[in-house]
Amino acid sequence: MADSTSASTPAMPPPVRANRPMSEALLNEKWDHCLSTLLIRSTLGASFGVIFSVLLFKRRAWPVWTGLGFGAGRAWEECDSSFKRASFPSRDGLRVMRP
Amino acid sequence: MLRTAIARSGARAGRSFVPRSQWQQFRRTLADAPTPDRTVLPGSQSTTTAGVPQPPILGGHPPAPHQAAAAAPMPVPREPPAPSTNTGNLPPTGQGTAATGPSSALPPRKPRRRFRRFVLTMLILTTLGYTGGVWFSLQNDNFHDFFTEYVPYGEDMVAYFEEREFKKRFPVKDYEAKSWPQMRGENKVTIGRQSGVGPKVAETADAGKAQPAKAQQSPGSASPREKTQAVESAKQGKDASKSTGPAAPRKDTESSARKSASGSGSSSAVDHLGVAQASEPVVQNLVSMVNGVISAINASPEDASRYASTVQTMKDNVEKVIGEIGTMKQSAAHETEGALRNAHTEFDQAAKELVRRLEQEMRATESKWREEYESEREKLSTSYQNKLQAELEAAQKVADEKNKNALLEQEITLQKAYMKSVQDKVEEERNGRLSKIDALSESVQDLEKLTGDWNEVVDATLRTQHLQVAVEAVRAKVLESDYPTPFLNELVALKEVSKHDDIVNAAIASINPLAYQRGIPSPAHLIDRFRRVAAEVRKASLLPEDAGVASHAASAVLSRFMFQKKSERGLPEGEDVEATLARTEVLLEEGDLDAAAREMNGMKGWAGVLSRDWVGECRRVLEVRQAVDVIATEARLQSLLVD
Repeated sequence: MADSTSASTPAMPPPVRANRPMSEALLNEKWDHCLSTLLIRSTLGASFGVIFSVLLFKRRAWPVWTGLGFGAGRAWEECDSSFKRASFPSRDGLRVMRP
Repeated sequence: MLRTAIARSGARAGRSFVPRSQWQQFRRTLADAPTPDRTVLPGSQSTTTAGVPQPPILGGHPPAPHQAAAAAPMPVPREPPAPSTNTGNLPPTGQGTAATGPSSALPPRKPRRRFRRFVLTMLILTTLGYTGGVWFSLQNDNFHDFFTEYVPYGEDMVAYFEEREFKKRFPVKDYEAKSWPQMRGENKVTIGRQSGVGPKVAETADAGKAQPAKAQQSPGSASPREKTQAVESAKQGKDASKSTGPAAPRKDTESSARKSASGSGSSSAVDHLGVAQASEPVVQNLVSMVNGVISAINASPEDASRYASTVQTMKDNVEKVIGEIGTMKQSAAHETEGALRNAHTEFDQAAKELVRRLEQEMRATESKWREEYESEREKLSTSYQNKLQAELEAAQKVADEKNKNALLEQEITLQKAYMKSVQDKVEEERNGRLSKIDALSESVQDLEKLTGDWNEVVDATLRTQHLQVAVEAVRAKVLESDYPTPFLNELVALKEVSKHDDIVNAAIASINPLAYQRGIPSPAHLIDRFRRVAAEVRKASLLPEDAGVASHAASAVLSRFMFQKKSERGLPEGEDVEATLARTEVLLEEGDLDAAAREMNGMKGWAGVLSRDWVGECRRVLEVRQAVDVIATEARLQSLLVD
């Protein structure tokens, strides 16, 4: 709401706000975030796998795949939780005040 | 991996090691007498040291150095074939077995030595660097700060060296030598019992004769031994004087007895009581001196006889001297008497002079005082005269002023009386005309009331007109614009126009601030956005409760294969997402924004979440429309009420 008070007399239609997405773009945004997370974590896991393979496992292939799997699994888990949290806002830490 | 790398590096090291031994071997054979019928394979010598069985010795032609490599391709039983890497200037000849085989015995020793060398090098470098750092930090202040702050134990090291340098410059020995020896418990000074000044009894007059000359010196200049001697001699002298006191008359009698005993040879001593002027101490001294000489001479009879004449002359001389002393005394008495008389006369004259001067001074001061007294009296009398004059003048002035004031008061009273008479005349004249003016003012007030009423009517009509104009402006801005436009200014104008109208104020307050700050979208805009929202909602239409990634992905894919419900033959029934979307689209196209928003608001789950913004926008548009309608109705009512 900060920009809404400052824009008192704009002549042109105000631009779409960047900080909060429109409600219909909520899911798409989540998908974008998920994909990027998947890519980053998989790459991280695979690179750790490569390092371990070179250092400890005589250049076998399986540590790379394991690392990749770890990364992808983490990304999947994070994504899943984000989707589940969105429809029902989390109630962790909330308290009910009894009269 | 590590192991293979190490093994590989070891093999490489071995290979590089072998050709050198080969070289040395060849050099030796060329320099010394070469053995003609024996050839040694390159690298074979190194195997002998490692305990590997020697390869076969080949007989035949003496090999030139460059032929050694040519002999290499011969099969050697125990060595595995390896590609030859270094064959001098010859072309590669396929399987080179030279030098790679025996090197396999060496590698295990290499890494340890390398490691040791590495550690040694690091140790040396570290020590050198540390030493250099310490030295340079002693030279450079900046580096000193850096070194002591960042290098572990650097501060201690630098401090130690600085301390050493400091000690070298200022040795500690000096300080110890400077402290007093008593503090170290050595060389105690003992003061002798005899040293210093001792007590002494004041000497009597005749004791002074026996006083040794040395005792008169200052005690500081005399050494302790001398002092003690002096004291002892003084004591002896006192004893002697004690003994001589009573013995003196006896001595005379003795000496006279001895003189008579010795006869003509010995001369008699001078009688110190019988001499003229016996009471004089000088004479007594002289006599005793002479007596001493005479008694010394009388001690030996030969001397006495020999010096008898001399003694006699000495006695005569003594008499003469005593006589002279008497004459001197008399003359001195005369002189003193004369001097006394002179002094008396001088004192008398001085006293007289003094008295005369004092009298003169007294006379002078008396005359001076009299003159001063006269002048003072003159001054006082003149000053009193002046004061009297001034007082008189002041009294004169006060009297004049008083007269003037009395005159002024009289004038003022006269003027007041004149003013009062004039005023009375004027009042009388005015009262006659004032009664006519009252009637005039009453009629003017009636006229004012009439115009006031008419003014109110005109104001009300103007106000309603303004209200209507403002409402029209807002309506034009809000409902007839193609894109959302803020209508804050119009709303402010409307509020200014209808300040005291509660209905208008309530209507304005019901509008969401976001609506008049941003503007509201047009119906076409809303429909366009609805199409986008519908596509998204359709994608999420198949989601179950609490859906994860897999459900989302499945819903997005599978919803593409669903048939869309068409509304060409009436509105579809049902609560599912497709039916709701179809109904909403129809309602929007018909222009029933209210019903469309109601339909969409009924959706649940992800569909509701996705369409939330759109529903909010619809609600804002409806609010604004309602408020504008209310204000327009109020304006119409006002205009009706005026007439």
